[in-house]
Amino acid sequence: MEPENPLAAGLAGDRHAPPCVLVVFGASGDLTSRKLMPAIEQLAQRRLLSTSFAVVGVARTEWSDEDFRARMREAVKDAGPEWEHLTSRFRYVAGDYAEATTFDALSVVLDELDDELGTAGNRVFYLATVPGVFAGVAKALGDRGLAQPATEGGFARLVIEKPFGHDLESARQLDVDLHAVFTEEQIYRIDHYLGKETVQNLLALRFANAIFEPIWNRRYVDHVQITVSESVGVGHRGGFYETAGALRDIVQNHMMQVLALTVMEPPVTIDAQGIRDEKVKALRAIDVLSPEEVADHVVRGQYDGGWVEGEEVIGYREEEGISDASVTDTYVAMRVRVDNWRWAGVPFYVRTGKRLPKRLTEVAMQFREVPHLPFSAGLAKGLGANALVLRIQPDEGITLRFGAKVPGQAFEVRSVSMDFSYGAAFMEESPEAYERLLLDAMMGDPTLFIRSDEVEQAWKVCEPILSAFADPTFPVARYEAGTWGPDAADELLRRDGRAWRRP
Amino acid sequence: MATAVGAGAAVVLASWSGQSVRVPDVLAALEDIRRSEPLPSTRTSVLTLVLLADRAEEAARAGAALHELGGRHPARAITVRTEEGEPGLDAEVRLMGAEVAGTSLWFEDVCLTVRGPAGDHLDSLLEPFTLAELPMVAWFVDRLPDPDDPVLRAADAVLVDARDLGEVECLATLADVASSSVLLDLSWVRLRPWREQLAALFDGPALRPFLDGVRSIEVSGKTGPSHLLAGWLSSRLGTPGRFVHLVEAEHVGVHIVAEHEGRTGHFEVARPGGERTVRASVAIEAGPRSDSVVVLPEASPAWGVAEALSDLGRDPIYEQSLDAALSIAARSHP
Repeated sequence: MEPENPLAAGLAGDRHAPPCVLVVFGASGDLTSRKLMPAIEQLAQRRLLSTSFAVVGVARTEWSDEDFRARMREAVKDAGPEWEHLTSRFRYVAGDYAEATTFDALSVVLDELDDELGTAGNRVFYLATVPGVFAGVAKALGDRGLAQPATEGGFARLVIEKPFGHDLESARQLDVDLHAVFTEEQIYRIDHYLGKETVQNLLALRFANAIFEPIWNRRYVDHVQITVSESVGVGHRGGFYETAGALRDIVQNHMMQVLALTVMEPPVTIDAQGIRDEKVKALRAIDVLSPEEVADHVVRGQYDGGWVEGEEVIGYREEEGISDASVTDTYVAMRVRVDNWRWAGVPFYVRTGKRLPKRLTEVAMQFREVPHLPFSAGLAKGLGANALVLRIQPDEGITLRFGAKVPGQAFEVRSVSMDFSYGAAFMEESPEAYERLLLDAMMGDPTLFIRSDEVEQAWKVCEPILSAFADPTFPVARYEAGTWGPDAADELLRRDGRAWRRP
Repeated sequence: MATAVGAGAAVVLASWSGQSVRVPDVLAALEDIRRSEPLPSTRTSVLTLVLLADRAEEAARAGAALHELGGRHPARAITVRTEEGEPGLDAEVRLMGAEVAGTSLWFEDVCLTVRGPAGDHLDSLLEPFTLAELPMVAWFVDRLPDPDDPVLRAADAVLVDARDLGEVECLATLADVASSSVLLDLSWVRLRPWREQLAALFDGPALRPFLDGVRSIEVSGKTGPSHLLAGWLSSRLGTPGRFVHLVEAEHVGVHIVAEHEGRTGHFEVARPGGERTVRASVAIEAGPRSDSVVVLPEASPAWGVAEALSDLGRDPIYEQSLDAALSIAARSHP
């Protein structure tokens, strides 16, 4: 084991990437230029990369090293001189992922970088490609011996982007294919939601404070509402979206992760095993609906035309590449049961959709009413149940709603909101999700990545719903763009004597 | 109607001033202007920050930095200046507003001018102004504190700038203060990019072994920062002081020569003249060569203060560096 660097003590030392090469497959694609390169540039600007660091882009596009460098420089607007300097050592390999010569060329470039920069044979392979090539690229890397660390104490890691399969069966097959080459410890499955500071703050709020956890259970919580809303439509992603839908695109991953962090038990340690073990337990506690229950617990919706953020927008079926008869879910609302000691009987209402009034993600804990309200009904008209709202995006913070006396002669009480905004309390600018996750992958910290058993468990929850949605006779509730979803979703809560909160 | 809070820089929402006043008058004025203003947001102070300045222009400069800082790191700021003259207290109180990432927030700004014997008991004057449950930081804007200054006892942390040392002998004063108070040093904050780049140069199995074979360390820069950096290297690496050489220069720079398995490596971190960048490079004889460039953070006092205030705990590495810097200074100036 490499001895510690005494100069790193007290610095960002423990949060600093070791020497390595980041190999990006899909280097000419949108994800690379829109997310990965800005994240790398930010890491460089924050001085978190090693002096011995380089990027190798791999894609079919016929670019030279210089073309790649120029594109990556263009990808980051207003970058400083460190980006110009860093990109000057970027390399590019043009080739088809199915061709052995592509990986031969990659192998040569990696060896050259090790000699020139002292990158010590450490590699992070990032698959920013369509999922269809994941298994093939992994196998090709294995065939060239690139899936194994090039030096003792070195590392080779594989980072893949969601979706991890299309359903339970394909997810299992993907795991079989990847595990044939890489061990589970080498695989980093990215759900960028976990890289968001405020998602991580769920853990801080719950487990760093004595005042929340004691009331975080069925005794005090009446129900929980989780909302992941987007104001955008499918745009040019119609082709992809038709094969995915909101259930696959949001519920199976982002929403299940946020739900798991909300309901999980306190981990022994905030590390990869501690957190992921508890998340899996939480996902296992989610009741898998029987086929007969799906219609009563799940609403599938699809947006019609309407007005969003002051602009008139078209309906889903009018979007580019979408059939007039499409039944794809652009909205899903579900009543979820979490069958464990802590949450039995507490409904979790989750909803996600496109073309909703605004973009936001929040978790709202609605607490039980007080057992007896000693105020006359007329004076407590404005009083609602206590609520704790964790705003994950865009206005990250916490709102606590509680009752207070209205100034005056009468004992009138009314709900007031106390807002806490992260931005107002911390001067540190939060890192972007990809920045955090890329650094973690280079450092070998898998805490914020998804383990295979989490993926599988989340698919198990979604599987009966996918089956129901595959039946064209399953209702598609229409909703007007710019509203909070279809009436059927309101009815889902109304049947329980509740209503969606207005975020 | 709520007073509009401008985006970015802090603006004055309300103010009050008085001459030859008493502390309760100032506290009442603070309360009054807060009540009179229909505030659209909550106060989110994270500390009480006391600025102590001898010179009016330095107090004004530091106060301006605080307004910039208030938008990122809201605090009740109290600027205190002592003056000759008839005993008395002049005060100005301002309610400041700022908008950060779409969130309106507000904070208070108090300026006190103290004349007479109360100037020797500033701790008693400051205590009523501190916010409950929040740490109090005393920033000595244009001088080093006397280790016996009563303000040090009242403060949870003391903020200074080793660049203000003037004479190298004053390192001993800093070490004295550090022995009894949490000492935050703006020079130490500004040296961070140099330290990070130096540490990064020795990352990885190919380069880390050179740290065990350091043959010489040359540190250039001004009195204070260069001593701190030399002290840091010497204490972290256990390198005897005789291997460390100091060179007076405008900007900080470091050149380390080290050996491993018969090969010599040169490790350099320097700020090229006229640029706000730090260039780090490593060149190993018959081995890897690499370099990197990082842009230095903005030079504003607000940035340095904000960074310094991000951790109000003791920094043992700084304290060890300071002790080692004293030893190196003793060798250089016996």
